[in-house]
Amino acid sequence: MSGLARLLSVLVVLCAGAPLQAQSIVADLSTREVAISTGFTGADLLLFGATEGSGDMIVTVVGPERDEIVRRKERIAGIWVNGASVTFKQAPAYYRIVASKPLTEIASEEVLSRLQIGSDRIELFTHSKRPAASILTFREAFIRNKKRLQLYSEDISDIKVVRGRLFRSNIPFPVNVPIGEYLVTVHLFKKGEHVSSEETPLTVHKVGLEAKIFDFAHNQAPWYGAIAILIALVAGWLAGVIFRRA
Amino acid sequence: MQIYLPIAEMSLNALMLLGLGGMVGFLSGMFGVGGGFLMTPLLIFIGVPPAVAVGTEANQVVAASVSGALAHWRRGNVDIRMGVVLMIGGFIGSTLGVYLFTFLRGIGQIDFVIAVSYVLFLGIVGILMVVESVRAWFRSRNPAAPKRKLHYHTWLHGLPFKMRFRRSKLYISALLPLGIGVFVGILAAIMGVGGGFVMVPAMIYLLGMPTSIVVGTSLFQIVFVTANVTFLQSVNNQTVDIVLAMLLVVGSVIGAQIGVRVGSRLKGEEVRVALGLIVLAVCARVAWTLVVTPDDVFSLGIGGGH
Repeated sequence: MSGLARLLSVLVVLCAGAPLQAQSIVADLSTREVAISTGFTGADLLLFGATEGSGDMIVTVVGPERDEIVRRKERIAGIWVNGASVTFKQAPAYYRIVASKPLTEIASEEVLSRLQIGSDRIELFTHSKRPAASILTFREAFIRNKKRLQLYSEDISDIKVVRGRLFRSNIPFPVNVPIGEYLVTVHLFKKGEHVSSEETPLTVHKVGLEAKIFDFAHNQAPWYGAIAILIALVAGWLAGVIFRRA
Repeated sequence: MQIYLPIAEMSLNALMLLGLGGMVGFLSGMFGVGGGFLMTPLLIFIGVPPAVAVGTEANQVVAASVSGALAHWRRGNVDIRMGVVLMIGGFIGSTLGVYLFTFLRGIGQIDFVIAVSYVLFLGIVGILMVVESVRAWFRSRNPAAPKRKLHYHTWLHGLPFKMRFRRSKLYISALLPLGIGVFVGILAAIMGVGGGFVMVPAMIYLLGMPTSIVVGTSLFQIVFVTANVTFLQSVNNQTVDIVLAMLLVVGSVIGAQIGVRVGSRLKGEEVRVALGLIVLAVCARVAWTLVVTPDDVFSLGIGGGH
């Protein structure tokens, strides 16, 4: 509901004809947090806003950074075994891009590279000493696997623009969405030039019992283990008692 | 009814998990086995990360074994002295096993080692079961055939630190049960099983224990060893999912009760052949994952820290 309220406030501002600053964007999300609870099967967020005048838009959603390992299986004596691996330092765990038309029609390759827009343009750093061609193969494999897991996506059409000013777009999060801080950025381009951008932060976190169990397992692991054993012992004993009487 | 599993970090159907627990519980009740060796591969097949499947299964086996262990304890079917020696071995083995598990996980080989262990042990145990029951079937049709000796004396019986196990009517080196305990402990940690399918034959054929106390003593030590695995997996790897374990426990205790009633109406040899074939089928399915060309030879993992 708060998202709807915010959308209305944006509309009110627009309808009232309040002058937006030159070349500016306002944007917001239907919610600033994604809560993972018992019934979580993924979530769809709505990004909405308005731009001043016409232009092309690119929306990027960048998830928390973490070290990601890409492993290559090799066939040894007929069996597939993990062989070589490359670790990409501080790679975004989630990356989504939405644009009003194909990226290269919006801005030049040079501009897109500078802003790191597009999964093949984001900077992935590694300490690996492998030859550059091999690292490139691992990099492509990384992005391909991320896309398969629906954690990386590029969607050219999924942005709706109404009368050249209002826009909205979906941000889908799969069930395996990594927890952490996300940044949603709306970039505005005019005639190939990047004129402005608006950033909106977003948090993905576990809530309720799931969050408590997860935190407990990671922060007080010995107690978690002891309680897991205790529950199992009681459950097993109880089952024995119940069914002996039955 | 989808339920989010906090440690596995995935959403699965709760009814399916209850059903899975019930099915494996039914088989374990019918055949008198722990069921961990069936449950862990099945969890992996439905997409649970292998490390979480193994850690969680150890927790489930604690629950699955404790009522059986108590029942045998009350009937006096536990050789406590033997159980304690096996348990000490089991503690050493499972502790080594969990550290080995952590190391293999770090270098990205744990999934492979879990799969290979399953193929190896399910293959051996499945073949032995089928062969043994086919042989027993032939013996029962030909009673004139020579009977097997209870146990054979080998170099194993010449080891030092002899101990008297009154309940088992044995005077053997403590190193023998200790060694078996260590070995089964390692398996328990890496495969997420109680290890009864290795422990029981080892007790009968290697130690020469009377069959009447084998199952009780095995269950007695399995409770302690899987509890140790649960604890160490929780501390080292955070791979024990309590929510998943509880769903499986509820399903399996109910399934096991039905299984026991059905199993008591079946003939021993038929039951053993059927179990042997199930074991071989799971073995073949795991082996297939090792040899089939993956859709993508590259896979992702998360690095440690920042």
